[in-house]
Amino acid sequence: MPGDRPLAGLRVLDLAQVYAGPTCSRILSDLGAEVIKVEGIHRVDIVRNFVIYDNKTQDDYFNRAHYFLLRNAGKKSITLDFQDPRAPELVKRLVPHVDIVTESFTPRVLAQHGIAYDSLREIKPDIVMISLSGYGQTGPWRDYTAYGMALEPASGISSFTGYRGGDPLRTGISFTDPYSGMVGAGAVLAALAYRRRTGKGQYIDLSEQEAAIPVGGYALMDRVLNGRDPERTGNRSPWFAPQGCYPCRGDDDWLVLTIRDDAEWRAFCDAVAHPEWAEDERFADVPGRHAHHDQLDELIASWTREYDHVEAMHLLQGAGVLAAAVLNPKEVLLDPHLRERGYFDMIEDRGGVRPTARQLGARFSAFDTSTTAPAPKLGEHNREVLQGLLGLSDEEMAELAEGKVIGDTPEFAVPIQVMQAFVQWPLQSFLQMGCVRAVEPDYRQQLGLD
Amino acid sequence: MAEAALDGLRVVDLSQGIAGPYAGKLLAGCGADVIKVEPPQGDYARRLGPFPGDEPHHDKGGLFVHLNGGKKSVTLDIETESGRAVLRKLLAGADALIESHPPGHLSSLGLGYDDLKAGLPGLVYCSVTPFGQTGPYADFQGNSLACLALSGLMYVTGDPDKEPLATGGEAADYFGGVTAWIAVLAALEHRAKTNDGQHVDVAVLDSLGTADEYNTAMYASLGAIRKRFHSRHHFPAYPSEIYPCRDGHIVVVFGANGFPLPMAILLEQIELENNPMFQNHWIRFIQWQQFEEILRPYLLEHDWRDILTRAQELRMPFGRVMTPSTLLDDEHLSEREFFVEVEQPDVGEVRIAGPVFKMSETPLRQGPAPTLGEHTHDILLDLGYDADDTRILRERGVT
Repeated sequence: MPGDRPLAGLRVLDLAQVYAGPTCSRILSDLGAEVIKVEGIHRVDIVRNFVIYDNKTQDDYFNRAHYFLLRNAGKKSITLDFQDPRAPELVKRLVPHVDIVTESFTPRVLAQHGIAYDSLREIKPDIVMISLSGYGQTGPWRDYTAYGMALEPASGISSFTGYRGGDPLRTGISFTDPYSGMVGAGAVLAALAYRRRTGKGQYIDLSEQEAAIPVGGYALMDRVLNGRDPERTGNRSPWFAPQGCYPCRGDDDWLVLTIRDDAEWRAFCDAVAHPEWAEDERFADVPGRHAHHDQLDELIASWTREYDHVEAMHLLQGAGVLAAAVLNPKEVLLDPHLRERGYFDMIEDRGGVRPTARQLGARFSAFDTSTTAPAPKLGEHNREVLQGLLGLSDEEMAELAEGKVIGDTPEFAVPIQVMQAFVQWPLQSFLQMGCVRAVEPDYRQQLGLD
Repeated sequence: MAEAALDGLRVVDLSQGIAGPYAGKLLAGCGADVIKVEPPQGDYARRLGPFPGDEPHHDKGGLFVHLNGGKKSVTLDIETESGRAVLRKLLAGADALIESHPPGHLSSLGLGYDDLKAGLPGLVYCSVTPFGQTGPYADFQGNSLACLALSGLMYVTGDPDKEPLATGGEAADYFGGVTAWIAVLAALEHRAKTNDGQHVDVAVLDSLGTADEYNTAMYASLGAIRKRFHSRHHFPAYPSEIYPCRDGHIVVVFGANGFPLPMAILLEQIELENNPMFQNHWIRFIQWQQFEEILRPYLLEHDWRDILTRAQELRMPFGRVMTPSTLLDDEHLSEREFFVEVEQPDVGEVRIAGPVFKMSETPLRQGPAPTLGEHTHDILLDLGYDADDTRILRERGVT
């Protein structure tokens, strides 16, 4: 019988936008906290524009973004537009009702509005506040704007990511955003443990660049101990050989494998019915397999090409060999292991079930952390929060709506048709360019969503 | 010493490699007393280097030092009954256990969660493995590469005409480590309310769910199977990638308002403001090769600092492509005192990555990593063993 979630009874005021900050607050939400997300109608969270359900951009498309769902499922939404001085005043009135404040602006923004930590602490001394920013609250780069796409290279990770002899490359997502968002959630939990013991709140300055630097631990230490910077080695390992990504049957299907020792090498050769490879002296030990990696890659590919990538994974794992299929996003959605583990919660939202990847990859025996609710519509909880918590009257709400401090529709600087063209994705062009592999109109049936 | 967030907390870290040990390192940074329990031959990460002068030594491995700073080390062969008896005593005084054995192995030794919970009802028992304790792949062999492959992240990373590319540095394991750290802290909050411990099952693969930015969303909402395309980002955000510049590389990210005007100003061709590729992001995305004929020559004629400074003045979030050398030498990180020096036994003064966030009241702690078994003797004495016992345990290879 699952118990209460551990942060039940705590309330978060979430001023964060886009990816890193909202990941931090969504984890707190999944752990039971009530998270109130704040957006301005002149400045809605930009990810309300990405991956609109069914690519239909009429009506209130900004309430139908799958990207927004992933980062904000289970939260409440209020609008407070900071262009108006009443907005920061309302934030200050909300602070006594909350335990935690999360924000992800560059450092000068909250100070400008008089709601930086020092001001909030005066209102509620035991508040826990976290700022997630690109480069932190101090130092010469503190005011630099930053997206995750720049922070992965800025944290050094791209210096050891890339094909052999090629340029540094990014991961195909905003890699440091989810990572530093998770680090932020842990930092808040540590601060809550301290508050529980001592009654004291505190402020957390998280630089997303710094949070991700330790991912390069091996390369950093090689620089510190030996003065070397990393080379890019594709998918090869500094330790094990062979290791790589090999083509399988099918247009663009691949298998990764790592052979960690001589016993695994022999097991691999037996599994692929090439015992003569195990007899080849060039490949007899790790240094030999490193030295002849190119030849090994050709031999291994000659075998993998004949197999389906998932079939090859099962065949090799059955022989104790570390191998995994490179799944494409559709295959990830259908993978039996991920399904059984609850990797996706199936969330009913805006006319259909939406698979929603969980943001905390831990399964607890004593409580559940599955997604509780769809993402909120813009301003959906204005009444509940501003009237319920602050006791604003209907007249005051009407005045705020009149002044565009609150609302449920974004105010765009461009005509709505321009916005709709911006958020509608030209899938056929994507297909021609090759940045998508296929477009399948019957995807909902294939996923069993209808 | 300043107070720490987790003062008074004791963690037994029975894990090896990267993911579990990084969780333990973060707990130690927050002030927990983390006792690393290693087999007598040591955590296998001690053998992974990099070693000073490339000479292997179990106390000098850089990756091990990076992942185990601030912990204590006890050697213990838990495959023996005497070793298990010591571990049980250690756990009796611990709040949390982190372990990374293949699923079922500790149960086979009588050390599974179900074996321990009756005697230790408050224990938080956190297992960290590549694929978790349940599901069809639970018994598969795994590592960071396999998790990146199965999560779909690898399929969208790299060039379209080449093989999918893994993010370097065993990156997935760090996701798993951070997840396990969060999980232990969350379970301790639960315990503070209920007095109950529990078992937490952390899979490195599951921990990548948070990195599913829009890959599965593109299929689940549009029916489009995304494929790697020069590691390009979600499509309206083009360009958001690394390009060569005169003295190295630069990340070009235009941000919310970079087109049309700020980018035209940066490129010193103000008339580009009216170019369709600057006016319409879909035209730019589809005609990207033409766009890059404009962008690349400018970058190749300028140094990273010049480009970065000007772009940031125009409020475009360009970034620098850092290497370990430039990180260690960086003026910004230096002013924030990110890297810290520790006196590492047998190695000397080394600079290590420091606090990954700054807490105003309870700053994170950093320390050297323990030598193999450095604290075995003292901790055995603490547990009530006498000097003869510790000698016998050592002679019999238990410690």
